[in-house]
Order: sequence, then C-alpha cells, then structure tokens
Amino acid sequence: MAFVRVACRAMATRFEMALYGDDPVRLRAAGEEALAEIQRLEAQLSFYRPSSEISRINQRAAEGPVRVEPGLFRLLLTARRLHADTGGAFDVTVAPLMRCWGFVNDTGRRPEPDALAAARARTGMHLVRLDEAAFTVAFARPGVQIDLGGIGKGYALDEAAHLLREAGISRALLHGGTSTVVALGTPPDAPYWTIAIARPGVQTAEPEGDDLLAQVHLADAALSVSAVWGKAFEVDGTVYGHVLDPRRGRPVEGAVLAAVVCPSATEADARSTALLVEGRAGLDRLARHTPPLQGLVVDRAAGDRGGTLHRVGAPSQEGRGGPVITLHPSAAP
Amino acid sequence: MKQKNPLSASPDTPSLSRRAFLKKSSLATLVGVSSGVFEIRAAPAEPPRTVEDPIRIGLIGFGEWGREIAATLTRMEQAQLAAVCDTYDVMLRRAERSVPQAARYTDYRAVLDDPDIQAVVIATPTHLHKQIVLDAFEAGKHVYCEAPMAHTVDDAREIARAARAVEDRLIFQVGLLHRSDPQYRSVFGFIRSGAIGRSVMTRSQWHAKQSWRRTSPNRERERALNWRLDPELSTGIIGEVGVHQLDTIFWILQERPEAVHGFGQVMLWDDGREVPDTIQAVLRFPGKVHMIYDGTLASSFDGQYDMFYGSDSTIMLRDQKAWMFKEVDAPMLGWEVYARKDKFYTETGIALVANATKLDSLSLSPTDPIPGQETPLWYAMAEFLENNAFGPYPPAANYQVGYEATVAAIKAHEATMQETSITLDETLYDIG
Repeated sequence: MAFVRVACRAMATRFEMALYGDDPVRLRAAGEEALAEIQRLEAQLSFYRPSSEISRINQRAAEGPVRVEPGLFRLLLTARRLHADTGGAFDVTVAPLMRCWGFVNDTGRRPEPDALAAARARTGMHLVRLDEAAFTVAFARPGVQIDLGGIGKGYALDEAAHLLREAGISRALLHGGTSTVVALGTPPDAPYWTIAIARPGVQTAEPEGDDLLAQVHLADAALSVSAVWGKAFEVDGTVYGHVLDPRRGRPVEGAVLAAVVCPSATEADARSTALLVEGRAGLDRLARHTPPLQGLVVDRAAGDRGGTLHRVGAPSQEGRGGPVITLHPSAAP
Repeated sequence: MKQKNPLSASPDTPSLSRRAFLKKSSLATLVGVSSGVFEIRAAPAEPPRTVEDPIRIGLIGFGEWGREIAATLTRMEQAQLAAVCDTYDVMLRRAERSVPQAARYTDYRAVLDDPDIQAVVIATPTHLHKQIVLDAFEAGKHVYCEAPMAHTVDDAREIARAARAVEDRLIFQVGLLHRSDPQYRSVFGFIRSGAIGRSVMTRSQWHAKQSWRRTSPNRERERALNWRLDPELSTGIIGEVGVHQLDTIFWILQERPEAVHGFGQVMLWDDGREVPDTIQAVLRFPGKVHMIYDGTLASSFDGQYDMFYGSDSTIMLRDQKAWMFKEVDAPMLGWEVYARKDKFYTETGIALVANATKLDSLSLSPTDPIPGQETPLWYAMAEFLENNAFGPYPPAANYQVGYEATVAAIKAHEATMQETSITLDETLYDIG
C-alpha cells in the first residue's frame, strides 16, 4: 500500500495530511487539491487579511447587511448554533474583549472597568444578525467583530476531508497545527488511528512516558485539543492565560487543557475551546449531548505540573474500535 | 440570435432595458428635460430594471478556479449567480453546496438557452473555450472568458474575430486580472511616466511545489481533469499561469514580443508526463528590452512576482503591492523621502501604493495589508459587472489584449517544449 504525506502553511500553522492508497500519484493529486482548499478558506476566513470576507464583514456589517458566500454563511450559522449549545462559552465575537485585555500583539493587562464594559457591550452572538434568505450578515452596533479563529481550522479540515473522500481516498489522517485532527477511515494495519495528547506545557513532537496525558483512538472522527499555554500574565498573584471566557468577559481561570472527540472537526474545534472555558462543568454538557461526546479537562492545580484530570465518555470497544480516549497510566486520577 | 438579451435590446423595442433607461435618463438630465418620467410611463407592464437589479450570471466550468469565481460573485451585490454548469457530477454536487440558489446544468447550452441569464463566465479547460464563446455570442450573452483564451492560435483568432464582430452590443472580457487591479494600474502610470529611466529588462517568476495532477475515482474523468498535462491540450506553465504575467509586461511596456527562446524539462514530477514542470523563457521586445520568465512546479521558493529593471530604478510587483528600488545616481523624485520603506535583505524598497496618503494616516508599514483592498478577481468581476450595467464599452482586457497574450503564451510554450527559438512576426498578432 502506498503512503504519501503532503503539507502546507495556512492559518498561522502547518496543515499536514498522511494518505494511504494504491497509487502515490493519485494520493498526492488528491492531497494537493485538499491543501488548495485549505488555503482558499484561509484567504476567505482570515481575521488579519484585509481582502478576506471576514475583514469585509468586520468593516461593513455595522453599516448594514453584507452579503457573504453561502459556505461562509453556513459556517456562521454553525458558529451561532455552537454558541447556543455551549451556553455562550464558544463565541466568535470575542475579539473586542481580546483586544481590551491586551491579548492581541501584547502580553496582556487588566483593563480599566470602563474599557471592559465597552468591550463587553460589543461582544455576543445576539449582536450578529444572520438573514438566511438573503445570505447576509449585519451587526447590531459598531465595533462588533467576527473572528473564526476558534473554528476555522476545524472547518478547513472538514472541507479538506470532504474533497479527499470525493477523490476516492478512504484512509487518511489530517491535522492543523497538531491541535485539530481528522481521521478518515482507519490506517491499513490497525482498527483506528492512535493520537497522543501531551501533558499541558509539554511541547515535543512525539511525547512519551510521563509526558503523555492520554491517547485517542480515532476512526472516521475528529479530535481537537485546546490549551492555555504560551503567553500569560499575572495580576494580584493570579496567572492568566490568553483564553477569555466570553460569558464573564475575563480570562479563563479553571482549566489548562481540554480535548473533545466529535464526528465533525468544526464542532470538535469549537467544543474544545468551549470546554477549556467551562472547565469541568462542560463535561456534563458533552455527556448530555446526543449521542454523548467524549472529552477531557485538565484543571489548574497549584504546584501540580499535570493538574487534576477529569474525563467523560464511556469507552466503547465494539465496532471499529473508536473513538476512545485512554488515559496514560501515570495521568489517571 | 436564439435569445434576446434584455440588455442589448435595440432602441426601437418597447422593452426598456436598464442600459437604455440609464442612457436616456442621463441624456434627459443633460438637456434639462424631465423626459425620464415619460420613459418610465412608456415602459411595458413588465417593471423596468433599475440600477439595483443584479446582473444574472451563468458560470460554465466549476473546477478549482470556477469555485473561486463563484465565491467572489456570490458576495457581490451587483451579481446574481443564477446558473452553474459542469460536465462532472462531483463538481455539480459541490455547486449544490456552495451555490445552493443557482440552477445546475451539465450542458452549457442549457445556460445559454435561459433568457434571464445576461452574461456567462467561462472557466472550463482552455481547449473548450472556443465553442462555448461562439455559442454564447450566438445566444446574445455577454462573455467573461478565462485566460488563456485558447490552446491554439487558430482558436484564439476565431474567438477574437467573433468578439470583434459583436463588440458594439456584447461584452467580451478576458480574465487577465491585473488590468483591472488599481494597484497594477497605478504602477502602470508610474512606469509609463518614465520613473524607472530607460527600461532594460523584466523578470517574472512563478514558483510552486505541486504536481498539477488531478484525480478522480472515475478513470475516464481523471484523464479529462488532467488536460493541463496533456501535450495536445496544455499551454504549459507559461500559458496556464504565465499568461497573466506576460500580459502585465506587454501592457506596461506597451510592446509585443518579436521572438521567444525557451527551455523546459521534467525535473521532479517524473510520472510519465511530457509537459515540463520547470521552464525558462526569454522574450525579446522591439525596444530591445528582454523579458525573462521562469516557472516551476518543483520549488515554491520566493513564490510569484514581476520585476521591471530600469536605468534609474527597479520596480517589483508582488502580492498586489509594489516597491521601487532606486539606483544611487538616479534623480530625486521628491516624494520618496517621505514614502514608506521596506527592507529586502540589503536593498531598500520604497512602497508604491495606490492610496499612499490614506495609508500613511493609518501608519501602516509597506508589508502591512492594505485595508479595503479586494482580490484581483474581485476587481475584474466588478469591471465586468459594471460594463454589463452601463456598457458595452471595450474592457481593459479586451479581445485584442487577450488574443496577443494568448498567442504569445502559446508560442512561448511551444519554444519551451521544443527547446528552441521562435520568431513572432507581426502577422501573428493580426486577428485578420
């Protein structure tokens, strides 16, 4: 069986695909088409490119309805549904708050109360009006902004996987920046793809031993991992990471890592972001989902490198084997 | 004509086209008579079109570029993408997802038969353009045709002649995007005004790492999808991609090449293909300027850009931006002292920006994105739609421009395939 690996840079990270099939020339051709789709979506969804559709919306939607491409419109509907599904923990309008807390090109700061109140007034999905008949987006007031950073990678991977299936590819693993992963079918020699999740703060390409937090078995499913790491700042002895709780208008304090397994990468991406915001409480939401979804959360715990780990989702070993999140022995609570 | 185009109604027909209405009402304003009111009353029961009415477009060809065109048109208020046509069911299923409100056809004649469609955009494989263009004119549709216009000189000539024959009533715009891009237009004016001194040479490159192969579970379809690798149908890298860059150079130099020498090899994608994955071509212009073109599918290093070398300065066009690199002995232009600058290794580029004053006030650096800037495709589509609403007038990328770039690209491709030198005499550029 032939194996081909293709990659591209997009959305400020590296997308990669591992493809299995009979003919390496065809595998590469299919992979290249899928990569081109990811780059097309980046040009459309980028918060930073002025010629992107998102930039046009952010510039003009406060003045009146802006017509958008139907695919993007559907993604905005999905974002609105996920906002409702997660009790507001996932919110694509959080950009004014991010800027207010100094999380954009800055290390972060506690904002003045007036500035924070102003930013909160410009945040929330209720300020985004979607007209399903006209495919238009309008903002209820100036200053509202849409940033699809919490869902764009997953969406790009779903669309890429769709093109791969159309091209006849049935075994592939796709990831964006190693934080969102889509599994198409199974590998040729195993009933599932095995993905390792490293402990919070561990940044090696192939974590092993005590650096391992869990492993996930995926077959025709997606996994997304969100974490608070990298930039952080301290106020009055509390360390804040660069993840905001849109419901409270302040940085997340509880969780440091969250992972969700879903059929769709778009949903996994949004739901892992929401789970990081909600922390352990968000696991109940996943358990109530139909069908129940699997996820895990690592709570912040002073002095404990790994934090406290919580997990939801009954491992099911039937069928094709996945998806299953298995904790590393040293990580078990 | 099989179908009457609502926008090309003759002045004596009772129906009031939007164009006729605009012409008449503006005339009325000029002579100070309120005859615009009379015109509206004279209209038949069918309500007259207004400027707010979107142009109804049919898109023929829904491959990668066709989808890009659809994504652009569906967000433009001036357009209504009313129909999508592709012969491949997979592409039509994609159209169903991305343009749910458009009718879907497998035969382009069905698009041409729709009397409500005013204009078509043709984004099929190059060798299929000719018949569709001819049939579209026959059906009275305005045409936007992707570049290159055709894969043979004969086909290109036939298209150009047909476009010339209907130019007083139907638009024919070729997809040479840079001609509609404000940034390129601004650089055109800058170079034409003599700001780079004596033009000495130009250099364009297009570097990508991709195999250019397409795949499908259906083997017959796969052969059709791989027309770019078919030596009978392909115009190679310099034709399928380079035609845009060739046209930019021809346009800015205001010259057509008189000879081309080419080299081409399969350097990386050695999968049985004959169309080279790596090419170089040198084109000579009457004014003694040489254009160097290099294109490859084997390395993505440094991407795509166009350089104009002059005795006073060199200009680089890249990513819808432009920079000028001055010679130390070049005369002062005055404004460059205040202009924004950007470092390229040891060279300093002076940013040439279409709306520099506005950007300065926003204190953006030259490499920052330009706010409000649209994609080159958006500008080209906007020009086409505006022409549909207010024309027909000759588009910037008209049939002559499209023809010249196409035949030069075809000959350059021939030169790279045969690794030879080809003279391009004046008769080549004559559409007859």
